[in-house]
Amino acid sequence: MTTNHLDASQFTQDQQFDTDIVIIGSGAGGGIAAEQLAQAGFKVLLLEEGAYYTSDDFVMQERWAYPNLYQEGAARKTRDQAIGILQGRTVGGSTTVNWTTSIRTPQPTLDYWQSEFGINFSGDTDLAPYFAKAEQRLNIHQWPIPPNANNAKLQQGCEKLGWQYTVINRNVNGCANLGYCGMGCPINAKQSMLVSTIPAALALGATLISHLSVRQLHWQGDSITAVEAVPVDQYFQPRSDIRIRITAKHYIVAAGAIGSPALLLRSKLPNPSGRLGKHTYLHPTVISGALFDDAINGHSGAPQSIYSDQFVWPADNTQPGFKLEVPPLHPVLMATKLTGTGQQHAALMQQFNQLQVTIALLRDGFHPRSQGGTVQLDSAQQPLLDYPISDYLWQGMRQALLAMAELQFAAGAKQVLPIHHDATLYNSWPEAKAAIQGLPMQKLRQTVVSAHVMGGCNMSASPTKGVVDINGRHHQLQNLSVFDGSILPTSLGANPQLTIYALVWRNCQQLISSLQRQQ
Amino acid sequence: MDRRRFILTGIALGTAASLGGGLAIMGWQHSQAPDSSNRELVLSALLPALLYGALPQDATLAAAELDRTKTAISDFLPFLPLRQQQELNQLFNLLANRISQLGLTGYVTALSDLALQQRLQLLNQWRDSYLTLLQQAYHGLRELLYGAYYGQSEHWQALAYSAPRFR
Repeated sequence: MTTNHLDASQFTQDQQFDTDIVIIGSGAGGGIAAEQLAQAGFKVLLLEEGAYYTSDDFVMQERWAYPNLYQEGAARKTRDQAIGILQGRTVGGSTTVNWTTSIRTPQPTLDYWQSEFGINFSGDTDLAPYFAKAEQRLNIHQWPIPPNANNAKLQQGCEKLGWQYTVINRNVNGCANLGYCGMGCPINAKQSMLVSTIPAALALGATLISHLSVRQLHWQGDSITAVEAVPVDQYFQPRSDIRIRITAKHYIVAAGAIGSPALLLRSKLPNPSGRLGKHTYLHPTVISGALFDDAINGHSGAPQSIYSDQFVWPADNTQPGFKLEVPPLHPVLMATKLTGTGQQHAALMQQFNQLQVTIALLRDGFHPRSQGGTVQLDSAQQPLLDYPISDYLWQGMRQALLAMAELQFAAGAKQVLPIHHDATLYNSWPEAKAAIQGLPMQKLRQTVVSAHVMGGCNMSASPTKGVVDINGRHHQLQNLSVFDGSILPTSLGANPQLTIYALVWRNCQQLISSLQRQQ
Repeated sequence: MDRRRFILTGIALGTAASLGGGLAIMGWQHSQAPDSSNRELVLSALLPALLYGALPQDATLAAAELDRTKTAISDFLPFLPLRQQQELNQLFNLLANRISQLGLTGYVTALSDLALQQRLQLLNQWRDSYLTLLQQAYHGLRELLYGAYYGQSEHWQALAYSAPRFR
């Protein structure tokens, strides 16, 4: 470990730090910001609630990875427990555990932001150069290896039905096609923040403090005056015996789309738009399993290499669009999501290697009946996301289940199992179609998951419609920026990492010029 | 409704009422504290049912798998948010206590006295309950218990799954 790393869990007394820039969170936003600002010559302090692990720690076992690398042991749920949320909590954030899919922000999403939020990313503010910079920095290229069988079935189904599909761009360098991206890359092939921008920032003099939970931003008038933090214990629970105080010239919050709004809410920051912690989007995702005669071995090979945008932008806006992808298949992920109990569940698990799984990610936030969730604080001041699922989204999910079953049968599936607690294995597309049309679309019956959390501190041209401006600067507090997925005004209709990299890269350039003008 | 079914429904409803009240009344506060013997009692009753068909036929081997799973559960729980830990503790405590109270009435001495299929039936009744709280208990326990069992590499033989070795 570098000497520029401090582990707050080892602190034995209160600490005080002063720096130019403090960055709260080391994921896609914080990681990019740390390198950019360190390169520009600023003294950077990077704070992370999770631990600083390296590839040697990544043992490719879910039982180690979930409690140690994910928020709430990968068991994070929405308030009514209807949606499970996979979100990283470690140095590198979700980039350390994501599945490497790298997609530029879809143009229709940017167009929607312009019309609804006055956020114009064209001409002088074009994001294209920043996508290119991030793609170069993180070695983002189209995956040249044939897809694993799990992804190949998605491709074959699309080919059979004449549906659109795309070979995925991935941020990897020297990838051995193992399939364990979600447990931390054991060979440093994935170009996460953990192995790219963060070590670069540390080499440039930045300091990383891990195992540190920021509890509050102190503020006065239009300025943040200090950060107050505590160490976390071995289970990542905030401690109360030691306090850490940090002062800086500029404060960057990058704690993710649940953590950042929660911190601003705990700090009772000004919120004249009323949108702080509101309009949190998830790409709510439904799942369809399919049994094939041939081996799928969905645990092996790049987890995501094909997606289909056939349904992501439907011609009529009365339905939410959805993107089709596949997940990696590992025992815990499968066992917890497959339905049933006892013999029925055991029989499905025994067909683990014949199981193909397709997922549909709904594009939420583009319709009056899809306004997302709300970040709340529990009695321990920890975040809790309330995300009611509207009928509009339920209907989209039913369409998604239908599309996935049709696709899987087209790809040659013997049987299809929509992951819904009232569904069973269906033997043909007509049988599945009739059954899915009759499934009750209700919480805790229809399984819903999410791996993308967005919004809650949305950007907007006008302070009446958001929390931060187009550059991620807080509308009311002059020395505060929010640089992460929480600034997105809607979901994306695409996996978010590359959008966050490019936005934050651009925001850093704006911030650096603005800070240099002040000096 | 037969007598057995009535008892099972009684357990379910009693649990719901206790949980609902427990969240509101300070008097129940103590029951949010962890009690490993209550957890042990409930897991010992539910795991063999939930894992029916997955556990090996051999009793000694099955016992070892159950012990490993229980250890994995107690190792995992502290990583959950305190809020969720308290809810789970309350569920374990109330299930254990509700069972012994019913035992005093002479209907049921322990959850473990129910046949495996009846324990599964109890779980499935929670899943299909009109009470959200029982549905949440079903899903919460199910994910926790299956996650703990299938997280152990010793239990992957039936899956023909193994992680690649390269170092």
